[in-house]
Formats: sequence, C-alpha cells, structure tokens
Amino acid sequence: MRASDDLRLGTTSTAPQEPLPPPPEEQTAVRAGSPGEWLRVNLFPTPVNGLLSVVMGSVLAYVVYRFVRYVFVTGRWEIVRVNLRVFLLGRFPPDELARVWGAIFIAALVAGMVAGVSSHRRGGGDLRASVRRAAPLLLVLVVLLTFSRTWLPALLTVASFGVAGIGHLLGKVAPPKLSRRLPLLALAGVLGAYVVLTAFGGVGWALWGGLLLTLFLALGGIVISFPFGVLLALGRRSSFPAIRVVCVAYIELIRGVPLITLIFMAFLMVGFFLPPRFPTPDLTTRVLIALILFTAAYVAEVVRGGLQSVPRGQIEAAQAIGLSPLKQTYKIVLPQALRNVIPALVGQFISLFKDTSLVAFVGALDLLNVAQVVTSQGAFLAQGLAAETLSFVSLIYWACCYSMSRASQRLEKRLGVGER
Amino acid sequence: MTDSTDLTGGAGVNADATVAKGGREMILCEHVDKTFSEFLALRDINLRVSEKEVVVVIGPSGSGKSTLIRCINRLEKHDRGRIVVDGVEMSDDVRNIQEIRKETGMVFQSFNLFPHLTVRENITLGPRQVRRWNKKRADDLAMELLTRVKIPEQADKYPSQLSGGQQQRTAIARALAMQPKVMLFDEPTSALDPEMIKEVLDTIEELAESGMTMICVTHEMSFARAVADRVVFMAQGEIVEVGPPEHFFTAPREERTKLFLSQIL
Repeated sequence: MRASDDLRLGTTSTAPQEPLPPPPEEQTAVRAGSPGEWLRVNLFPTPVNGLLSVVMGSVLAYVVYRFVRYVFVTGRWEIVRVNLRVFLLGRFPPDELARVWGAIFIAALVAGMVAGVSSHRRGGGDLRASVRRAAPLLLVLVVLLTFSRTWLPALLTVASFGVAGIGHLLGKVAPPKLSRRLPLLALAGVLGAYVVLTAFGGVGWALWGGLLLTLFLALGGIVISFPFGVLLALGRRSSFPAIRVVCVAYIELIRGVPLITLIFMAFLMVGFFLPPRFPTPDLTTRVLIALILFTAAYVAEVVRGGLQSVPRGQIEAAQAIGLSPLKQTYKIVLPQALRNVIPALVGQFISLFKDTSLVAFVGALDLLNVAQVVTSQGAFLAQGLAAETLSFVSLIYWACCYSMSRASQRLEKRLGVGER
Repeated sequence: MTDSTDLTGGAGVNADATVAKGGREMILCEHVDKTFSEFLALRDINLRVSEKEVVVVIGPSGSGKSTLIRCINRLEKHDRGRIVVDGVEMSDDVRNIQEIRKETGMVFQSFNLFPHLTVRENITLGPRQVRRWNKKRADDLAMELLTRVKIPEQADKYPSQLSGGQQQRTAIARALAMQPKVMLFDEPTSALDPEMIKEVLDTIEELAESGMTMICVTHEMSFARAVADRVVFMAQGEIVEVGPPEHFFTAPREERTKLFLSQIL
C-alpha cells in the first residue's frame, strides 16, 4: 500500500495515467464515473496527493496564463507580420512569387497522391485521424495566414488544399503497384517543385532564404546524403580492403569533426581545392555540400547497424537460389536492413533539419538567421524583439520535426506487415 | 578407395565406395576435408550420389552432416578434396559456384524465407533474377509449385503469417522453382512443432517419389527408412557406415552405428 502511494506522489497532478503501476491503477483512472469521482480518484486520492495537485495545478495554470498572455497580449508580433515574406523566402524576388505557389501546388498534389495511395492500401482513410496527424502543420498554416496582410494567400492555400484533394483521388485510383514506388513519387514531387522554382529564367538557389532555404538544405541534404551513406555502409563491409579502408577513413574522419567546423571549412576552404579559375560555388552550394558530407557519414553508421541486423541465413538462402552478390545485397539484405533502421534514419534526418540552422554562422540567410537579421532593421532596432522572432521560427522548426517523427511512426507500422 | 564399382544389389556395401542405384553420377565427393579453426568438421569424405537417388544422412549432432551438404553448394568452402556436381567441379571461380548453385536447391532448418517478400515473390525471385524469366512465366510456375506443396491459397501472404509447416513447404517450393537437379535438405523438420512435421515430410516424400535426386539430413528415422535408397551414418566428421536402410537399421556393422541406433530407437 505504502509503496504504491509513493509511486503516485510525483505524477498525480500532471500525468494521472503514468504507465508505471500497471493495470489496476490505469483502470480506475480511466473508468471513473462522474467528473467529481474522476477528480477524487485522480487528483485527491490522499491528503498529500491533494496538496501536490493543488500546488502543481497552480504552477501549471500560471505558466499557461503567462504563455497565453505572451501570445495574444504582450507579444509584439508586428516584426513577424511585416517580414513574413523574408521569414519564408529570404531575398527571393517578389516578382517570381508565382513560382513559389506553383511549387506549393506540386508539393500538395504529390502529398495528396501519397496519402491516397497509402490509404487505399490500408483500406479507407480516417479523416479525423489524418487531421490530428497534420495538426502541427495546420497550426503553422493558421499562424502564417493570420500574419498575412492580404486575402490572396488564404485563397491560394485553400486552392492548394483542393489540389491535394485531387491528388488524393488520383492516388486512390492509381494502380496498387504504385504503393511500392512511394519514395520515388515523393522524390519526383521534390524535383518538380525544384524545377518550377528554377527553370526557364527562375530563381537560382543562391537567392533562396528563410524557410525555403531551410527546407532546401534539409531536403537536398536528405535526398543526396542517403544513397551516399548507403554506399559508404556497404563499402565498409566490402571484401575489398581498399574500399573498406577508404570508407572507414571517411566515416571516422567526418564523425570526428563538429558540423560547425565543416560548415566553416566549406565557407572558407572550398576555393583552395578547386582548380584555378574555376568559379567558386555560391554560399548555399558550399554549405549544402558540407551538410551532405556530414550526414552521409552518420547515415552510413545507421545503415551499417541495419545491415548487421539481417540474419546470416537470409544471405545463405539468397546464395542458395543462385543470386549474384549484387542482387543478394539489393534484393534481400538492403530492404530488410533499411526497414530495421527507419526510426534511426528519421531521427538522423530530423537532426539534419535542425542542424541546417548552423549555416546561419557563415551568413546564409536561413530561417534562424532571418530571425536574427530582422531585429536589426531600422524600425525594430534595439527593442528586444528577438524573443518574438525566435518563438516564431521555433514553432516552424517544431512543427516540421514533429510531423517527420509522426510520419516515421506510421511508416514503421505500415511496413510492419511483412515483419518476421 | 576405389569407388567405381556399381553395387546395384546393395549386398556388401563398403563404407566409402558407394553407388547404389544405377544411373548418371550427380554428386561426387572425393577426400573432402573441412576445418573450422582447429576443429576438424569433415575428414576424408567420399560419397557418390547417382541421378534419382535419395540419400539420407544421419548421425549425432556435431558430426558434420550439415557441413557436408553445405559444402556441396558452397555455403561452406571445403579445404581439400574434390566436389563435383552434375559434371561441374567446384572451384573458387565465382561463375562455377553460381553454376552449381543454380542446379542445387537447398532447404534450411530455419526456413530462411525472405520476410519482406510475399510467398509468391519468395518463389519467383530466383527464376526472375537468376534465370531471367518474365513475370507471367515465373508466377505460373510459382502457382504450380504451391499447388504441389498444397498451399496455393497462401500465395499473397507474407511468411510471418504462415505456420511453420507452411513456411517450410514454401521454402521447398522456392528451392524447386530454380528447377534444380539436386535438392539438399538440412534438417528440414527440426525447427517445426510436432504436428507440422508430417506435412513437410509428406511433401519431401512425394518429391523423392517423383525421381528427384536428394540428400537429406534428418533425425526422423522412420522417414529415413521410408524414403532412403541409402543411409549414410556420420560421426566425428567421418562417414562411418553407408547402406540401404533395411540393412542399416536391422544389421549395422560398425560399433558406433550400433551405439547411435541403440540411443535413438
């Protein structure tokens, strides 16, 4: 009796259904009849717990009050409202905004198709569940639209939802074979958006900034570093000593250096390694290369773990039916290895997404750097507005990372079908 | 050690020279040695298997039974001696090894089905990737084989959704899909629940009756007695005794064989 009281002490007020003391407690917590009953069971089971509930409850209420007041009353959000386009696009020329919307439409179409294809695989999607899943991103959308000064973005946003809906329908009627090609479909969407932004006299990535630059660095880093990392992981297990040594040396070298150092090196030293009169690439390209080199080494280690998790018998069975070593790897070993490391890989990509903020240190105008730069504009100088801009970009970072992590959980579940 | 005499009648079989049924020579092992760091796993193995012959290998654990059949398709590399499968001599040449693996099907104790592929895909993988068949042809063969092992309705399931016996029958179908000339079974029923052993043994028995050349490592003595043309008894890396099952089980000649049989029967 005493032991269970002690266990509940710390958790009562904030997390009544703490999993530690298993079934009996959980049942009482969930299955209490009236609200009064619920209060008694969960918040005031003993005098000590009751006191604790009151104390913690007041602290919580105060924090929530200050937060709400900050968001709706004291926060001076004018700086975000005025600079919204800089936050999202940096120095992207305003005349070319139509391209951005084009890219958003393509992204919406592909996202809708991906959702459609995977829903008809599961047999019917649940609208409420998908809204709940997209809640963080929807929240950001609402915030952005609140800040926008015209109705056009709102209309276009609604239109992009329409496009996503069309994509969903297309995905549903698409041949089921497509469900195995989802990564390729997503990749095609990313490339399509990229082409719309840059092709036919578009805007090169040197001029991208804000959220667009952050997304570009993260997506570019993910898409390019992934195959590179897989090759490194395979190379590390190669039977050719030369390949193995090169891969191990690369991986260990990169993993021994902080990312910020690599970014500074990309900023300062790339010129030394290029042949004379070869034009030095622009800043964005250089930091992208640094991010790719860095992430590839970590992806390689994650994938190596996955390769080691595939039982020896799988390779033997592949050998026994006469598959060549190359086919043993990409038909049998890699699919299982990658599936086993999805959580770790997504974790790696989430850190990459956040790590892109380090490029602010060499002057690239990414989301974080915008938050700094706008506070030194004439109108907002020396007013201590960094708190507002930083909370705004944190919300965007959080929404993106949290969505990625949720998406990975779903992916794990979906791929769990053929699990051993 | 001359092993050319064709002992059709089965009378007076000697321990190392060993052909029972007539017919073309399918597998030949001559003076095969295999060492796992210090431990001698196979010692001077001599064995001939003719076409359509069913050879059952029995013996205590650690006697080298599995190692022997794993050497025949190069899942293990033998150290000395010759192994010839259907006229192709095993060498270090990759193409040679691939050639032999194409002609030998292998069934493992732990099934080793590919968990990320459906039953049908498990079976069609070899024909499509190695023999370069088109999808239609490979799928037709898969259904034919699944019907033969009596689980055509499981074609679109994943291995984890099947019972152990069904998984092992899928593995047999997968091996047969390469249309091998020889089948190797490595304790195919050891990982199965008792009630599933029979369905797998029945499948293997039907295969034996259809004229497939096979070597089967097993602990199922009644099965050995029923299907074997010859029984090979191994102990401590050596072939101790070879003979037709009726002689082997009723009148073993070697002391070690008698001891082993007395322990298990």
